Amino acid sequence: MATARRHDGAPKDTADHSLRAFDRLYREHVDRMFRLAQRLCGHADDARDLVQETFLNAYRSFNQFRGDAQVSTWLYTIASRACLRMRRKRKGEPARELSLDEFIPTSEGELRLQIPIQGLSPEEALEKKQLKRALNAAIQKLPPKYRLVLVLRDMEGLSAKEVGDIVGLNERAVKSRLHRARLFVRKELSARGVPVEDHPKSSAASRSRGPGEVPA
Amino acid sequence: MAKSAQTRRGRPARRPHRHSKSHCLKILRRLSEFLDDELPGTLCREIRKHLGACPRCEVFLTSLRQTITLCRQSPTRPLSAAARTSLRRKILQLTSAH
Repeated sequence: MATARRHDGAPKDTADHSLRAFDRLYREHVDRMFRLAQRLCGHADDARDLVQETFLNAYRSFNQFRGDAQVSTWLYTIASRACLRMRRKRKGEPARELSLDEFIPTSEGELRLQIPIQGLSPEEALEKKQLKRALNAAIQKLPPKYRLVLVLRDMEGLSAKEVGDIVGLNERAVKSRLHRARLFVRKELSARGVPVEDHPKSSAASRSRGPGEVPA
Repeated sequence: MAKSAQTRRGRPARRPHRHSKSHCLKILRRLSEFLDDELPGTLCREIRKHLGACPRCEVFLTSLRQTITLCRQSPTRPLSAAARTSLRRKILQLTSAH
């Protein structure tokens, strides 16, 4: 009996097998990719577009994936490329380099700038909408190639080696970009002075300190 | 009146910030690697020694550490079941239309 064929000429049972395999890939990784996409894009709508683009590209090259890398690394690579492509298309902005010197403090005051969490633990601080917004804004303000490294390393928890494989850099270059990205976010957050006065712990802590003083 | 090098209880007062600014800058350039525990022991010891004597760099280190922790713990929203299904449908539609 002849094997049924799809309109593109592939045997039907092969196509069914691919579809099942893709479905499994989608189910197992869509949440992780959506998390990554939110961190890279900052907005839920853009994040959904990026997830769609990622799995669309993954589906198209699914048969070429030989399993040399972990599936998640392969998907991270596809998502990272798609993200950079989408940003370029939308904004048309030239890639900006971050010089380390622009973040090295030049005065006593700047050196002592603090992240405005006033005695809260990071978990407590992140309950504050303003701080969450400020963090998100700082990350979104990063030039794309720096944001990618910060998100993959500090937010997704990948090793410098894994990040290097994904973005096509050696570990040394990954670490260099990461340091600049962290300094950029630190400077942005410090400069904002986000108030957290409605938190009971922080109110008590701020009352016991002067305005310019930092927690011990 | 100038401050004495000893406190009233006889403990030594904190040493004044006497090293050069270029030394601080040299340290600040390596802080991410220091926080990620990626530096050789000798350099780590040198940085720890510097931080012990330099409150400004200690403060800078704290704020950089807080930045990293905030990034690590920053929450995201889960994908809703409806969005998961509609995304899958759209991807398959686009693939078959290609």
